[in-house]
Formats: sequence, structure tokens, C-alpha cells
Amino acid sequence: MEKNLPIFSSYTFDDKLLDEVFDKNKNVKEIYQTLFDIYNKHSISDFEALNEYAKTSFFNQGITFQVYGNNETKEKIFPFDLFPRIIDKKEWDHIESGVLQRSKALNLFLRDLYHDQNIIKDGIIPKELIESSENYLKQMKGFDPPGGVYNHISGTDLIKHSDGKYYVLEDNIRTPSGVSYVICNRTALKRALFGVFDKYKIHTVTDYSQNLLEIMETVKPNGVDKPTCVVLTPGIFNSAYYEHSYLAKGMGVELVEGRDLFVKNSFVYMKTINGPKKVDVIYKRIDDAFIDPETFNPESVLGVPGLFSAYKEGNVCLVNAPGTGVADDKAIYAYMPKIIKYYLDEKPILNNVHTYHCSIPEDLKYVLKNIPKLVVKPVDEAGGYGISIGSKLSKKEIEEVKETIRKSPRKYIAQPIMSLSVHSTYIEDKKSFEPRHVDLRTFTLLGKDKNYVLKSGLTRVALKKGNLIVNSSQGGGSKDTWVLKN
Amino acid sequence: MLARVANNLFWMGRYIERSEHVARYLCVNYFSSLDAPNELSQSRQFVLKSMLFMVGDPHNDESDLKESDVLFNIGLNADKPYSIINCVKLARENANSARDLISTELYEAINKFYHYVLNYSADFFVAKGLYEFTTHVMEFTAVLKAKITSTLLYDDAYSIIRLGISMDRATQVIRIINSKYNDIQLIEAKKEKSTLPSSSLEWCTLLRCIESYDMMKRYDKDAPKSINTLDFLILNPKCPKSVINSLAKIVDHIQVLSNDRKPAKDSTIFLVNKIYNDYKYKYIEEIEIDFKIFIEKILTDLVTISKKMEKEFFYI
Repeated sequence: MEKNLPIFSSYTFDDKLLDEVFDKNKNVKEIYQTLFDIYNKHSISDFEALNEYAKTSFFNQGITFQVYGNNETKEKIFPFDLFPRIIDKKEWDHIESGVLQRSKALNLFLRDLYHDQNIIKDGIIPKELIESSENYLKQMKGFDPPGGVYNHISGTDLIKHSDGKYYVLEDNIRTPSGVSYVICNRTALKRALFGVFDKYKIHTVTDYSQNLLEIMETVKPNGVDKPTCVVLTPGIFNSAYYEHSYLAKGMGVELVEGRDLFVKNSFVYMKTINGPKKVDVIYKRIDDAFIDPETFNPESVLGVPGLFSAYKEGNVCLVNAPGTGVADDKAIYAYMPKIIKYYLDEKPILNNVHTYHCSIPEDLKYVLKNIPKLVVKPVDEAGGYGISIGSKLSKKEIEEVKETIRKSPRKYIAQPIMSLSVHSTYIEDKKSFEPRHVDLRTFTLLGKDKNYVLKSGLTRVALKKGNLIVNSSQGGGSKDTWVLKN
Repeated sequence: MLARVANNLFWMGRYIERSEHVARYLCVNYFSSLDAPNELSQSRQFVLKSMLFMVGDPHNDESDLKESDVLFNIGLNADKPYSIINCVKLARENANSARDLISTELYEAINKFYHYVLNYSADFFVAKGLYEFTTHVMEFTAVLKAKITSTLLYDDAYSIIRLGISMDRATQVIRIINSKYNDIQLIEAKKEKSTLPSSSLEWCTLLRCIESYDMMKRYDKDAPKSINTLDFLILNPKCPKSVINSLAKIVDHIQVLSNDRKPAKDSTIFLVNKIYNDYKYKYIEEIEIDFKIFIEKILTDLVTISKKMEKEFFYI
């Protein structure tokens, strides 16, 4: 390939897919025209150099994650694509109001599940669905978390379908990750191609940490004037450690590990060089099962003995509340439109993908008959693990999937294969731009009488051609996401 | 500040400082030996043994050392705890654990340093890269110390890092003095049997290993010899790398961590002041009487301070 050709010279088009940058006639969409003109001035070799520069910038900043092999641990950067995604104001307003609506409904749903369970009594949600959920924590029953908030931080995964509409794929309300990449992607793009920022008026992403701290301060325990907030991490070997340290630094709070904390007389303290200091609000980045060996997994060395008792005494606030996992179970996802209607008396703003629940006999029958047309997902896995895309399976694999579902139908849901939109993405091996599937994770914060949605998101991109799974653990990368001011 | 993180910062400082001293020792010794005036100090085996002695892995038998093995082990063998690469890895690992407390600028500089060392070709290093690599290591550590001074808040975290740097500087300077003193003893022993030139060159090398040769020349016009060199490097408060200067810095920074106006007898600050004052009023002639014992004593004192700090501040 000629190295001095413009970078878009070998772009390919697929009529069946929604391309966010080009229209059906292969013309650049208006919103991207200025950006496209700037990028297309670069020759392939110019762009290669810029791409390398951006990669080095990530390495030097230490924005990496660990990949564990048999003999050695490798440090890798989360692949970053230099061509940003643009979302216009109207489209964003729709997304923002939709994700906020879902977060509020999920919070009310969680409160109800851990109190009177009216939604079950009224026949909206089957009792078995909750009782059979491994993420329903009976220890949370009857407990009111400080400020009445359960899902302080929600990550909502959306896709843009070929019909041009946004659909929610998942609600993540346990410990949604990725927000640090939103901010670092912006920094990396500014460093590499600062000139492009003059041409568009876009919202900043740097106010996230400050808003997170303010949200955490709204849910301080009773009687505390100025709360001491901390971020609780499993430690430097956790794949998201960079994000934990980034958020702690951004908020100016301590990044603690379980071994730095102890509980005395039902209060939580951290060990400082000047002696114990009381902790009031903990943003925990440790799974519920590991936060307190006295109440949950007794083998946990990551947690703090007695932490849950201190929480139940109201002496410390945990963000997000333990037990939120029951509501981001993919089996619950199918009921989201009803949940929104039940608690808010509103129509859902964002679309849900039709979901077949394998524990319902009719749905199971349909799923077993139509695997090639469906995506089968385990209800409680994250990171894209355990997902089977029917159209990509061999006959033998289809039979294996069927057998797995038959063995434990409660554990699986199925959805029609959605056509994720594609976005122009630089492919290193090919040294050119090609269309690749993308999704979008938004970040919503809920506090006591305060909420906030980050005006951007993590656009994840599946770097392998035709791949629909965008998770970083499955070879995905990400893009800077611009939300336009007007 | 968290006790665990304080420990991380302390060791980050120590490993940054250590990598610099090991790199300089390799570089200065190797290159000054190339045109050394006597056969022994020109001998490659003699130089390699001296390097191993300094890093704490002495070669005590008569077998020949392989130059490329020694250079690799001290420079880039991650399995050797004393290697430069290991110091840099540990400095960065400790920085990682305290990443939220240090500035982005400092972290990026550490990270760049780490990637430079990690990606340096071992084959090139042992064949041609000794000067380039060790010089870059020294430059990187200078940048890091500038970032520490110019981008951090002058608070507990800063003092802890400075404590780490000063503790390791005192330790490494003593180790280097001990190592070169040992070399000089060997040369002197040979000299009795032959007509070797004076060991003055080795005292010059010692000063260069501690980056103090030029300033020593300004301070004292006499040729470097035992008494004036040791006095300058150990007891002279005007020499920036002197042991007494490092102890004075330890006193200053430990003060920041202590709120007590009248420290308890079992506190670190009490111990540090006691040790500092002991050395402050020593004179070189009394040290020279039995230099080996002095070296052992000062190394033990530094370890005692470190252990006391760990117990009082780091909860170890």
C-alpha cells in the first residue's frame, strides 16, 4: 500500500450496517465532515506516527492493564482509536434522560426488593426470579442505606441499532468500570491531535471525579459533618487498579486496601502514620462477596472484618450498596420497561432489546429452536464472558449451548442478534480505516437529592472484523466520545 | 497518610536512589580502570570483583569472572535483587501503590524510566551499552528527584520520600566507601611487595563514584588520600553527598512526621537525633583507627533507624 495515500482511501462499506460516519451513499455525514476533512489530510505514514505517539503516551502515563499468562504477566494498553465518536445535543439529551430514568427506577426497585416487595406482591416480577438470584443479599433486608441510595454509580451499555435508535443492552450497577478511560482517551486525543478541538464545541469530561466526590458526600452517615471518603481497591494487581488510583487522585481521597482498614466499636478506621482515622464513605471496588469475611466469603483477604456490621449500624456508607447485583441480573433486564412504569409511572425513554428468559417454558422452547438467530447470555457474568452469538456457532456448538441452557435455564437469557452500528476505526495491521462495531457505556451518579450524568461515555470498539463483542477482555478498544454543546 | 502507602513511598525513594548509585559505581569503576596506572586496578577481574562487592554479592573464590555475566547481573538481571532493573521495577511498583498521592508528572517520569530500563537490550548493554545505559539511569534519577522537589506538596508524603532517599544515600555512600576502601587495601597490600604507584587514583575513583570529585578539588587542593577523602565524604557538611548531610536530612524530615515537641525516648525522632549528634561530633582520626568497625557500626545504625520507622509509622 502506498504510504502517502490519504488515510481513508481504502475504506470499505457494508450496506447492511449502520455506519455512523458515512451515509448510505458513501458520503460523509454532516456532523463528521469537518473532522473527516482534517483526518483525511493525513497520509498513512503520518497517521501511523500519530498512532504510535498516542500509544506511547498511554504507556508512559501507565494507563495499562495486566494480562496474566502461564509464566509471565504482561502489561498492555487498552487499545485506543484516534478517530472520535460524535453525539449531537438532541441525541445526547435523549440518552441522558433515558439513563437517568433507568437509574432512578432501579434505585426504587432495589429499595422495594429489600423492604416490602410490593412489585412482587402486585405480580409484576415473579417471586422466583428474585429468590433464585445469587445476588439477592438477605443481609440487606429491611436496611436503609444512608441517603436512601443503592446504585450511586450506574454504567449503562447502549448500542445504536440499524434502525438508528439506541437500545440498552445492560445495566451495570455493581461496580461499573471504564470511566477513567473516558477521561484518558480525551487527554490522549488532545495530545495527539489538538487542532481538531477548535472545530467543535464539546462538553468536558474532567468534572466526573468532583461530581463523584460530591455524590459520595451527600450519602454521609448521620451525625457526620465533613465526611472522610475513600476508594477501596483490591490492590495493584487488579486489572482496574489504574482506574481506582485515578479516581482517588481525582477526588483527593485515600486509595485504601482492605488491610489498611479495621473496625472498632462498629466504626471503620484507616491506619495512617498519625494513628487511626475514621472513615465515613467507602467507594468499594471489591465484589460484595469479598467485602467482609465475617458476613460473606470467610476466605476473603481483600475485605475488612466487621465492615458490614458497621454499615448496618449506619456508621459508614458503602458505594454502591451491597446487594445491587440482584437488579443488574440480565434476567431482571427483561422487566425494565415494567419496572420504570411501576415506580415512576413513565414510559421508558430508551428501548429495551426483546429478551427471552429461559426459565419461562415458552421462551425456553423458542430459544432452543432458534439459537442461530439469537445471542445467548449468562445472567450474571460481566466482561463479555459466556456469551454465545448464534450465527457464529457450528452445529456442534449449537447443540452444546442447548445442553448448557437445558441444565440451568435460570442462568440464561437470549436476545435477537442486534446489529451494532459501525464507526471508522484505524486498524493497525491494515494501516487503514475500516468500519468496526461500537457500543456506548454511560456513567450516571445518584446521590441524596443530587444526580449527574457524565456528558460523554466509553465508546468501546470491537477491533476484530465482524466481531460484535466489544469488551476489552475480548480484544476490544475504545474511542473518545464527544457530546456536542449545540 | 496511610501507613502502608507511607511505606511504599519510603521504598520508592530508596530504590530510586539505589539505582543511581549502582549505575554510577559500574560506570565510574569500569571506565576509570581502562587507563589506570597500575596493573591491579587495571585488571578487569579486580574491577568486576569490586562491583560485586559493592552490590553485596562478593566473589570470594579464585575462579575467573565473566565480564558479560557480571554486567548483566548487576545491570539487567531481574532475578538479582541488587540489579538496577530490579531497583527500577521496585521503585515503580511502590509508586504504583501510592499513585493517587504522587503527582502525575512524577509518576509519568518513573514510568518512562521503567520502560527505558525494561526495554534495554541486555546483549547490547554487556557488549557496548554500559556507558549509555548507566548514564541514562543517572539522568533519569536526576529527573525523578527534580520532579519530587518541584511537583509534590511539601507534606508528609514528601518527607517520607526524602527520608527514603536520604537513608539510601547514606547507606550506598557507606557501601561505596567500604568497597573502594577494600580495593585500596588490596592495592596497598600488593604495593608492599612491588613498586606499584600510589593508591591516590583509587581515592579519586571513590570521589567520582559519589559524584564529589570536583567539589573535593575545590575544597581541598591536596591530592586525595585516605584522611581527607574520608573526612569529606563522611563528616563534611559542605559535601552534599556526605553521610553527615544525609543524617541531617533524615533529622529534618523525621521532624515533619512527628507532632511531639518533647519526643519519647523510644520514638524514631529521638533515636535519629541521638545517632546524628553522635556522628556530628566525631572526627576522622578516631574513625580511621578502625575503619571496618566504623563501617559496620554506621550500617547497623541506619538499619536500626529504618526498623524503628517501620514499627512507628508503617505498622510493620
